[in-house]
Amino acid sequence: MKVCLALLTVAFLMTSACANHATRAAGKRMIVLGIDGMDPVFVETHFVDLPNLNQLRQRGSFRRLATTIPPQSPVAWSSVITGMDPGGHGIFDFVHRNPTTRMPVSSMAETTEPTRSLAIGPYLIPLSGGGVRTLRAGRAFWQTLDEHGVRSSVIRMPANFPPAECEADSLAGMGTPDMTGSFGSFSFYTDDPAEKREKVPGGQIVRISLRNGRAELAIPGPPNQMRSDHQATSVELAVSVDPTEQTARFDTQGRQFILQQEEWSEWVQAEYSLIPHVNSVRGTFRVYLQQAHPYLRIYVSPVNIDPEDPALPISTPRDYSRKLAGAVGPYYTQGIAEETSAFRAGILSKAEFLVQSRKVLADNLKMFRYELERFQDGLFFYYFSSVDQNSHMLWSRYDSDLLEIYRAVDRAIGQAVAKAGTDTPLLVISDHGFAPFNRAVHLNSFLMREGFLALDDPSKTGDEELFTHVDWSRTLAYAIGLNGVYVNLEGRESGGVVPEADKQMVLERLAKRLAEFKDPDTGEKVVERVYFPEEAFRGRNLKYSPDLLVGFRRGYRASWQTALGAVPRVVLEDNVQAWIGDHCMASDQVPGVLFSNRPLRTDAPHLWDITASILGEFGVPKTNGMIGRSVF
Amino acid sequence: MEIVNWIIDSLLLVVHVFFSFAPRLVGLTILASATGAAMLWVFGRTGNQERMNQVKRRVQAGLLELRVFVDEPAISLHAQRGLIAANLNYLALALRPALWMAVPMALLLIHLEAFYERAPLPLAEPALVTMRMTADWIPSAPPPVLITPCNVAILGPPVRVAASREVSWRILPYSPVSDKLLFRFNSQEVAKWMEAGDRQRYVTGRRVRSRWEAILSPGESRIRSNFAEWIEIRYPSAELRIFGFHVNWLVWFLIVSMAAALLLKKRFGVVI
Repeated sequence: MKVCLALLTVAFLMTSACANHATRAAGKRMIVLGIDGMDPVFVETHFVDLPNLNQLRQRGSFRRLATTIPPQSPVAWSSVITGMDPGGHGIFDFVHRNPTTRMPVSSMAETTEPTRSLAIGPYLIPLSGGGVRTLRAGRAFWQTLDEHGVRSSVIRMPANFPPAECEADSLAGMGTPDMTGSFGSFSFYTDDPAEKREKVPGGQIVRISLRNGRAELAIPGPPNQMRSDHQATSVELAVSVDPTEQTARFDTQGRQFILQQEEWSEWVQAEYSLIPHVNSVRGTFRVYLQQAHPYLRIYVSPVNIDPEDPALPISTPRDYSRKLAGAVGPYYTQGIAEETSAFRAGILSKAEFLVQSRKVLADNLKMFRYELERFQDGLFFYYFSSVDQNSHMLWSRYDSDLLEIYRAVDRAIGQAVAKAGTDTPLLVISDHGFAPFNRAVHLNSFLMREGFLALDDPSKTGDEELFTHVDWSRTLAYAIGLNGVYVNLEGRESGGVVPEADKQMVLERLAKRLAEFKDPDTGEKVVERVYFPEEAFRGRNLKYSPDLLVGFRRGYRASWQTALGAVPRVVLEDNVQAWIGDHCMASDQVPGVLFSNRPLRTDAPHLWDITASILGEFGVPKTNGMIGRSVF
Repeated sequence: MEIVNWIIDSLLLVVHVFFSFAPRLVGLTILASATGAAMLWVFGRTGNQERMNQVKRRVQAGLLELRVFVDEPAISLHAQRGLIAANLNYLALALRPALWMAVPMALLLIHLEAFYERAPLPLAEPALVTMRMTADWIPSAPPPVLITPCNVAILGPPVRVAASREVSWRILPYSPVSDKLLFRFNSQEVAKWMEAGDRQRYVTGRRVRSRWEAILSPGESRIRSNFAEWIEIRYPSAELRIFGFHVNWLVWFLIVSMAAALLLKKRFGVVI
């Protein structure tokens, strides 16, 4: 009898608790806008041009929002998602390294092969297992809200691929791959003899030749998972060029379209056959006819996952992406949709990049307005990538172009303010700010100069990636990613030489050298701060953490070569690329912004406080590992 | 052939106009039912009904044999052999009516495409018009001149495709159109009918020069001038929704016509 009574009491208490949460959350609304890379100083300088942000500041609150170590988007947004620091969610960079091979791997998601499959000739039919999974630890805040009966729409959240499983409407943002599995691989086709390159970062350049005014372009698709050799798939896009006019006709899979010079196509659907007439996957891409004469120059965007029939999970519920496409038309699903790689490679000019990035923003704004209109109750989160991607290419050199993007986003914020009215809390946040990227630091070359890294032949410095000539038997530390240095640790790295007992000594010696590191051209310090993960992070999920995180001074950043394990000849050089703004520096150098239509209780909010604030607003308790406090 | 095309089109247009008050599905369903009934009648008139009845009885007997002598392998095997033979016999008997029906059915389906397969061009969306030139065309020469109705814009210059002897234009209708596109080349003219707007109607895809191709592309008279082999407008596919699902019009047509034939066979006294 006593047992029965006890069970009844527990059941009653649990029911009451759930009902209490539901009651507290019922009818509540909150809007959170994530503006990647919105910089507080730029905003302060241009308040007069940004009336909605200015009004939020005057009638509500404006603070600088402390960012994560390192201040990289996947790291920072993972902190917003989970309310944890990187030591909790386990994302430390865009790329991690496999400790055994020291090869770079995606930090956000991994693809797994099927555990059982049936081989029929060259084909491999998966029977069980396999797929893609997130590498981020911790629960997403909208999963927690969902458990407590709070509805939410979380659109384009970065570092959310594949999307966290729940009932909420969600669409994956930055980190969503293209059909080839990369963050975005473009293809450029030309018969211009002056173009000698074949591979550039973020894309391929393909030589073509016209026969009778016609050429066939192979648009690369995903590796065929249904074949044992994983042969790459492709679809054919035939182009026919007019003999004299700057115009061409394109034919693919029964569809035709015409483009004039400097014109982008609408979305083109492509069906990639995996098993002929049995199984295929669909992607979408856009074509840009840069020039028809005297040489043909055709740019094909990375092939996006088709939202109407996604080959990989990009939304919850799974058909949400299709419904959204039905309502707003086809849209970019690739996490980073702005064609920065093509601009960096000199294939697209600045004007061409701006046209394309405005298309991305227009896509984004259309979807935003549709979802904002639909929003009734619960949480509405929407993410904008345009400020960040344009800041990378325009920062401090093309302020008026960048301001145009800020203005467009400001208008969207104005619409959200109007929707929020007086009863709905609104937060506008950015994950980090921006700084000029003037000097590129070759961290591996620095390590070599300081005696921490050795090559098998000291003359073999250069841009060859993946530590091609590194002599691991004489190397104590190496750098990969944009802020991380790893010790070549015995028992962890294959062929590691630093015993566990000496690790701290090596790191301290290295930290001292980094702190003393000065730019020979200017005499300025290159490194603002060096972070030890055990001190910098509260969480202990440090499996993939660098052993040392380098916080560069404003103006300095790890070079592109460093990110992929190259050891160039010089330690520092001017950044002469089109990518002129960045944020992968010391985190206190590039804080983000926090605007609200409510007064804020704290003067020094942090990214992970946003998570606590969202849950707090709906009366939902924080989950294990969350370290933030509500800003209200 | 043009006269045949004209007669079929006229008959179908009458049906189309008669049911224009109702959703497209209604007209299609009635047309399919009538076709099913007509084909059943043709089947009854052209097939050997007596022999078919005998063969059907043989099939029934074979099936009964299989059920009764399930434990007798020799008899079962014999029954199966008999069934296969009866089925082949039935197929042979059905061949004659099938041949009688094939030509009119194919013609009917080709003509129905103009009613149910294609939708008019959507407004404010570019569409392609392509002309296949005759073999003596010189690609580097100036292309034909396209003259459009006043509510249709031409977007940019045409593309001359040397490899396939084609010239393509991009047009943009910005209000509903049911009018002709006019092509002028070497002081000759040729026209192609175009349709744009929301209302579903009779939409012809291609106008051709060849007599044979005219069978497959009915709806417009053959091209008389000697510079173009065909002119085509790329129309979007028409949508047919049944209980909220997209259904191909041809699938629905075949299902309804077969169902009508099965339902009416006793009334018509036809063995199928």
